[in-house]
Parts: sequence; C-alpha cells; structure tokens
Amino acid sequence: MTMFKTSRCRRLVADILTYAVLVTMTIFCLGPIVWMFLTSLKTEADIVTSQMQYIPRSITFENYRAVWTQSNFPVLIGNSFVVTAITVAICVVTGTLAAYAFSRLSFRGRDRLMLSYLLVRMFPAVMVIIPLFVMMRTVGLVDSRFGLALAYTSFLLPLFVWMLKGFFDAAPKELESAARIDGSTLLGAMGRIILPLARNGLVASSVFIAIAAWNEFIFALMLTTGQGSRTWPVGLQLMVGEFQLPWGVLAAGGILSILPVVILFAIVQRTMVQGLTAGAVKG
Amino acid sequence: MATLSIRNIQKSYGALRVLHGIDVDLDDGGFLVLLGPSGCGKSTLLNIIAGLDEPSDGDIAIGRRSVTALPPKDRNIAMVFQSYALYPTMSVARNIGFGLEMRGVPEQERQAEVQKAAEMLQITHLLDRLPANLSGGQRQRVAMGRAIVRSPDLFLFDEPLSNLDAKLRVEMRTEIKRLHERLGTTIVYVTHDQIEAMTLATKVAVMKGGYVQQLADPRTIYERPANMFVAGFIGSPSMNFISGRLVPNGANSQFKSHGVELIVPGVVSQEGGQDCVLGVRPEELKTVATRDAEITGIIDVVEPTGPDTMVTAVIGDQVVVARAEARFNARRGDTIGFRVDPQSINLFDQQTEARIETGY
Repeated sequence: MTMFKTSRCRRLVADILTYAVLVTMTIFCLGPIVWMFLTSLKTEADIVTSQMQYIPRSITFENYRAVWTQSNFPVLIGNSFVVTAITVAICVVTGTLAAYAFSRLSFRGRDRLMLSYLLVRMFPAVMVIIPLFVMMRTVGLVDSRFGLALAYTSFLLPLFVWMLKGFFDAAPKELESAARIDGSTLLGAMGRIILPLARNGLVASSVFIAIAAWNEFIFALMLTTGQGSRTWPVGLQLMVGEFQLPWGVLAAGGILSILPVVILFAIVQRTMVQGLTAGAVKG
Repeated sequence: MATLSIRNIQKSYGALRVLHGIDVDLDDGGFLVLLGPSGCGKSTLLNIIAGLDEPSDGDIAIGRRSVTALPPKDRNIAMVFQSYALYPTMSVARNIGFGLEMRGVPEQERQAEVQKAAEMLQITHLLDRLPANLSGGQRQRVAMGRAIVRSPDLFLFDEPLSNLDAKLRVEMRTEIKRLHERLGTTIVYVTHDQIEAMTLATKVAVMKGGYVQQLADPRTIYERPANMFVAGFIGSPSMNFISGRLVPNGANSQFKSHGVELIVPGVVSQEGGQDCVLGVRPEELKTVATRDAEITGIIDVVEPTGPDTMVTAVIGDQVVVARAEARFNARRGDTIGFRVDPQSINLFDQQTEARIETGY
C-alpha cells in the first residue's frame, strides 16, 4: 500500500516538474511574440510610459495602417516573396537531383564532394559576404532579386541536399531496381517511385529553406541597395531612425512578417513532423 | 521464353574479385537455382543478369540476343525481390500493371492483363489496396503478379521466400513450382535454402567464393557431389564425413578407419594406399546387427522426429548421424552397427576435397 502511495506520489511530482518545464519554455518562446502583438495594438502614449503598461488601454490598428501606407511595405514584402520563391525553386530542382545522385549513384569523389557542400556552412556569413559582393557586382547581380536568391541558394542548397539525401537514403534501393526492370529509366524511377515516397521529406526540407530565406537579413542588407530588390527584414530595420524609434510600427511590421511563416507551418506541420521523424520510428 | 547463356562472367569491386569467370547454360523453360552461402556471389550474378550491375568481363545472352550492354528495361525480364519492392504509393493493381504502363500498353488492355494475373494468383480482392495493408504472403503474390503480367523472356527471383514464415514458405514454394509448370518461362532463382533448390530446380549451380562448385540437376548434386563443400551444403542433416585410408584390395579397394572397414568397388587406389574422406548420407547408413556391420560405433544421442529417428553415433573419434526407422529402439552407450550400399558411397580426396569417382 505504501509502495503504491509513494510511486503515485513520485509520478505526481514528476508530472508537475514536466509541466513546469514545458510551461516555462512556452512562456519563453511565446512571451516576446505576445508582447510584440500587444505593442502593435497600443497607441504611442501606451508604449512610451514611465510605468509599464502591459495591456493596451485602448486598441488601435493605427500602427498596421502606418506600416502599410508609410513604409513601402507592399513592395518590400513582394520582394521577400519573390526572393524566397526563387530560392526554393532553385533548391528544389537542383537540390533534388543532387541529393538523389549522392544517395544512389556511386562516383569518384562522392563523399568528398558531399563534405565540401558542408564546408560552405562552416564559415560565418559575414566572412563570405565581401567576396560574394564583389562577384555579384562583377556579373551585375547586385541589387537584384535573382542575385539575392542566388546568394541564398549558395548557403541553403547544401543544407537542402543533406536533408533530402537522408530521406532518399531511407527509401529502399530495390524500388528503383524494380522500376528499372519494369521499364523505367533511373530518372523516371526517381520521379515516379522515390519522390512520391520522399514527399514529406521534400516538403519539410523546402519549408526549412523557405523560412531561412524569408528571415535572412545580413545578405539582404549587403546585396541590396535600392527599393527595387530590398526585402522586408531590411526594410523593417531601416525604419529605425537616428532620433526616433517607432516601436508600435515596428511591432506591427514584425507581426505581419511572421504571419506567412505561421500560416506555412500550420499547413505543413503534420507532413513536416512526419518527414522529420520518418527515419526515427521506422528504423 | 528463351534460353539463357552466361559466358565467363567476372566481377571485381576494386581489388576484390567476387565472380571468377562464371559459365552457365540454361535451356528454354529451365529452372536454374543459384545456391550458396551468403557472400558466394549468387546475388551479384543475378543482378548482372538483370542488368542492375555491370560485369567486369563476360557476356550474357537471353535467347540468341546478347544483352550485356542493354539497360534492364530492354532485356525483357521480370524480377521478384527478397523485400518484394512493391511501390508503396501505388495500389496493388497499379503495382502489377506498372510494367505495362511503362511500355505504353493502353489502359483497357492493361486492366485485363492485371485481372488475369490477379486471378491466377488469387489476389483479385486485393487490387485496390496499398502494399502497406497486405500481409507478407499477399505481398509475395503481388510481387509475383508484377512479374508474370508482362510475360517476360526470363524470370529472376532473389531469395523470394526468405521473409516468410515456415508454413507460408512451403506453400509459396509449391505455388512457384506450379507457376513454372503452367507458364513454362525460364527462371533463375537465388537462394541459400537447399530444400528450395532441390524441390524447384531443373538445374542447380552451387556457388562458393565466386566460383561455381558444381552445375548439375538436383539428383546428381545430391547423389554425386563434386566436392566436399557441395556434399556438406546439400542435405539436412548433412552428409557424414569419415576420414580414413584407402588401400588396395584385389581389383577393388578397401576403406579403413577406426571402426570402419568397407569394400569400395571399382576404385584402384594408389600403391601403398592414400588418405581420403568417406562421405555417406544419413539415410544410407542402414542399422544392422554388429556382427554384419561395416561400421561400428557407440550411440551418443537418439532423437525421434516422428517419421524417423535420428541417431548420432561415435565411431572412433568421429561422429556420424544416421536416419533410422521411426521405431528404432536403443539407448545411449549401446553399440550400433551400420552397412552402406556401395552405390551410395562418396569418396573425396583428403587434400583437394574433390570427388574420387567410384565404379558406380
């Protein structure tokens, strides 16, 4: 009886501890976002106060209106969309083929080539930015959306290839053998049999790339100079003036910029979790 | 349907040679089993026949057409894999019809062919399901359906039964034999299971270390193994080996060992005798009264299996297993005597382990 009681007691304590940790982490993650959201709804008078005003006294959408009308928001967000789309498109087309080749074909220097893909990611971004800028200027791609997407591809493609290769590796090789005997080419077998199977992995990897491209700041800051190709994170930063800090507008802009990411996650989260854990449970 | 001819096929991975010049011929409608322990090169040879792997040297011909340079899809073959390799995202019907789909067979004709194959394999009720929702035996049937629907020149089977449980394996083995007799297609079948080889094959190639040790019909392989490896690999329990000496005895020879003295007809041994190994199948060791015995030993273990009783006996310092009748009655420690039909004797050279031909 006492044994039973103590083990129940212990489990209760463990449960409480578990929840305590999880709740703390949730507050830690969501806190800034909630704070940003509340700030975006406040009036200027509520934001800059001597005493902390947590809940807005009056709700206003003035900040959102200001973002839309005064900050060139539509153009910036459009640029972000275009750059992200081009990056994902390049990665999906070339990365899928590369990952498939790495996973299935044996050729000289394959492992070394894979390793050199990782090498790109071992250097801090600021280090490659100057040479990249010089290269981009030489070929006339500075301040263009395509140029920026290419720059993103240079460090996102290796990640994409490595991720996707893992998913391809998980698909049995005999499937392609069967498809090739059934009358398919290797490329056809990839398209008809393996890609549908690795669909979750493809979605997961693509979302990963899309979010990274969407949020990227340093490359965008360095490689774009004019309004024509500037992305939203840079635009947001440029709102911080020398003498004024429009907190409400910045918060509204922040909320708007994470919206697409949240929506994207909501749509693909189930597929993505399946994709990321596929190897883990099936062994 | 077609003949298969494998000429001097060699395969190396870097410095590692896995196939050393394989030569095999198979008649139209034949059933060739490639048999051997894992790592003997049998699967590599099958992949080379399929075109999934390239030989380092040599030639493969299906019918009169050399296919060595052709990709798998142009060889008109079908293959059943150990893992079945069913396409997980496609229904059973589409799985079976995929080969026809790839060859541009019109939808209606395709459906009819799929239906026909499904009926033959009794899987018509499964056509709409996904492979994930099938049992092992059903997957096996679908994989076979995918192979037969295209009526290829050659079927290749890569250990198709090894993922099934014992009962289903026997059932599917019979099914494969029935299918072969019905369709008459030439088959190459890889397995490490000697029972499958014995029951299915018209021709068995026993392989080891990248060499074909013996290529013959199952009966010959069983009764007249070319060397000690083949003799020991085929048969369960495996052949008894007794080391001894062969000495001249008039026109014949006599095999002598501790507790063994038997006449081997038709063999003239070397002057002064030679060391050799006697090979006798367990069922060829007939129990007799000890005064008539050619081989005498002490019983170590008696194991009744139902249809017969396995008797393990110690002869000198060597151990033999005999298949005695079901009601065999003796105990550990008893003396036991055996006679051997001279026709069923196998002799092997002590050094080379190769067969020494007897008079029969």
